[in-house]
Amino acid sequence: MRSLQAAVPDHMDKRRGLTLSISIKRLAAKLWLGIREWCGDSAYERYLQAPRNNPEKSSLLTPAEFYVERVNRRYSRPNRCC
Amino acid sequence: MKPPISVVIWIVVALVGAGALGGIAFHRGEPLNATWFVVAAGCCYLVAYRFYSAFIAARLLTLDDTRATPSERHDDGRDFVPTNKWILFGHHFAAIAGPGPLVGPTLAAQFGYLPGTLWLIAGAVFAGCVQDFIILFCSIRRDGKTLGEIAREEVSQRGGFIAQLAVLAIMVILLGVVALVIVNALKSSPWATFTLAATIPIALLLGLYLRFLRPGRVLEASFIGVALVLFVVVAGQWVADSPSWAHVFTLSGVTLAFALIAYGFAASALPVWLLLAPRDYLSAFIKAGAIFSLAAGILLVRPQVLMPPLTRFIDGSGPVFAGKIFPFCFITIACGAISGFHSLISSGTTPKMILRETHARFIGYGAMLLESFVGVMAMIAACAMTPGVYFAINSPASIVGATSDAAAATISSWGYPLQAQTMTDLASAVGEQTLLNRAGGAPSLAVGMAQIFSSTIGGPRLLGIWYHFAIMFEALFILTVLDAGTRVGRFMVQELGGRVWKPFARTGWWPGILISSALIVGAWGYFLYQGVVDPLGGINSLWPLFGISNQLLAAVALVVATTILLKMKRIRWIWLTLIPMAWLVIITMTASYQKIFDPNPRLGFLSYAKALAAQIAAGKIPAAKIADTQRVIFNQRLDAAVTTVLAAMIIVLIIEALMQWYRILSSDPKSVLHETAYVATRWPEDFSGASYAGAAVEPEAPAMEG
Repeated sequence: MRSLQAAVPDHMDKRRGLTLSISIKRLAAKLWLGIREWCGDSAYERYLQAPRNNPEKSSLLTPAEFYVERVNRRYSRPNRCC
Repeated sequence: MKPPISVVIWIVVALVGAGALGGIAFHRGEPLNATWFVVAAGCCYLVAYRFYSAFIAARLLTLDDTRATPSERHDDGRDFVPTNKWILFGHHFAAIAGPGPLVGPTLAAQFGYLPGTLWLIAGAVFAGCVQDFIILFCSIRRDGKTLGEIAREEVSQRGGFIAQLAVLAIMVILLGVVALVIVNALKSSPWATFTLAATIPIALLLGLYLRFLRPGRVLEASFIGVALVLFVVVAGQWVADSPSWAHVFTLSGVTLAFALIAYGFAASALPVWLLLAPRDYLSAFIKAGAIFSLAAGILLVRPQVLMPPLTRFIDGSGPVFAGKIFPFCFITIACGAISGFHSLISSGTTPKMILRETHARFIGYGAMLLESFVGVMAMIAACAMTPGVYFAINSPASIVGATSDAAAATISSWGYPLQAQTMTDLASAVGEQTLLNRAGGAPSLAVGMAQIFSSTIGGPRLLGIWYHFAIMFEALFILTVLDAGTRVGRFMVQELGGRVWKPFARTGWWPGILISSALIVGAWGYFLYQGVVDPLGGINSLWPLFGISNQLLAAVALVVATTILLKMKRIRWIWLTLIPMAWLVIITMTASYQKIFDPNPRLGFLSYAKALAAQIAAGKIPAAKIADTQRVIFNQRLDAAVTTVLAAMIIVLIIEALMQWYRILSSDPKSVLHETAYVATRWPEDFSGASYAGAAVEPEAPAMEG
């Protein structure tokens, strides 16, 4: 095993370490995004991205208006079960 | 020729699952390890998901990924939002997982671990998951319409009206019974009462933060909130140790009931961003954390299941609630196996956010499997304590007595040995004055969870903290159901009132808000109050009523699903929904009949009322208690009337459906399918619904050098 490791050039080893650290960062970023999406943290960004809202940017809601509108809408129908 | 490796793997999974199920079913004598339950449930779920749900997706529903879903056709960034399937799974699961799968199995443990566990697994696989999956599919094909709207279109106008009435009925009974579970967990417990009371100012603080300081920053607000909630769980001990503060937070059942009614009214009438929404965010995080911690705890500790597979109470004489194993085991388990309420979520938010039709299998079928697993964990936690302790916590004083000595003597005489000192020591270890007579399932589940958690972290020293953490977790998300349900109920009342007088339907009109809030809170508050003052403990009457209404709504959903499948010409596979529907109708009608007419006063509402009336007539009730007894008599008759109405609704719906099915089978041109027209998707195959933000944060790949 040791001899095999010794056969790998230094720069290859570093590159592997770099790739691993980037994979971990990507995974963490995806997880973070997932949690933000799940709890509604990124809802406003979603709203800005929605195709139907693009042509009328001037009439877009502010983050505070959007938040109030969103929770009002969300809690006016069954959304929590027994 | 060698079989493919996947075939071998699935055969092994099926055999292991069958072996574990057989072990649970036929094991007698020594206590069984909880690992058997986890393995049996896990393998059954895997096989069911891989084969049964795939069969439904391919043969019955023929899911089509080339078809644009409502989230693509109407994408508005508000209701219709194309969402990654894993995230939507989390949303859907958080919405369907309530207190039901925790409380139901805990109560059903009075029959022993076997019947409840088998129904949790089989009921979910063949009924609950099928219902959630098919209703989700039906709603996706109808632009995200609700169950009531679909029933109106596909069954009949009257069918739709019955579905709406069933929703309102289940809402009122559900809110009354879950409030009763909280009251029974908090009464005479300053630690638990303080902890839960403190979550109200915390939620208000978060509401102001999310509205004015950092609008919509849910994640950071939730982190702050969770930290504060964990702090108040610990601080509750200081309150309980302080004689003056302990006195303030030591409340009776009736006081707690009125406090909850006032809270429900405030949560319904106040702006939703101030109290309801922030509490829901808090609850979602704590719920997810507690459920995963419980799963991890069970896997790490692998507790012994001390409850026998079957107890003597399968004959209907159970102290927690009366009624034989059939139909009351099924009625009591309810949500962990099949829940009618889920059909409201499957025809509510989820179909508007789903990215592709095939995701309905993972989200609809898969999330219900996970909920069933939560039910199995609750069963393990309840059965991991000694049966004597379980019965002492969950039985009313009128049956086992109000003192440790009386309870120990009664329960030991049933064949479940219990020392009076055991209950005193346990109460002291968890920081409570007493754990006796706390029917409702929450305290016994909390004891079970605390024993599992403390075996992992902290040992007996932290038993009190873990117990109150578990109580806080249960109470917090029951309160979320209470305030969210009250608000939705308020909208339903306003909508119904608007048919009589139009201004009443305006959701921003203050007199309308206050009157409708008072009506809905008054309705569930009445059931709560009747449960609190019921000498038989309340749960004995109200949980079966809740179970009947919940399973009734599930039957409504399956009637709608069967009608749609018939219209889709899937006659060959119609048994997939027809059999669970027929089963639900049978158990609902049998339970309704027994609850109304059974001659045993502990079971039948009318016979209990008659027995009490006879006692008054014979002069056996002291004069001071006559008014109270007459109120109990009225409540029993009211419960009988409510049960009759629920049973009548399902009979009318079945007749409506049978007429519609006859028209479909005789090719009546009026019986048409109301699906939206096919529109081809324009999304590429690899579109995951999260590309807008993913690009912004994903780190660049390293430049590859030679």
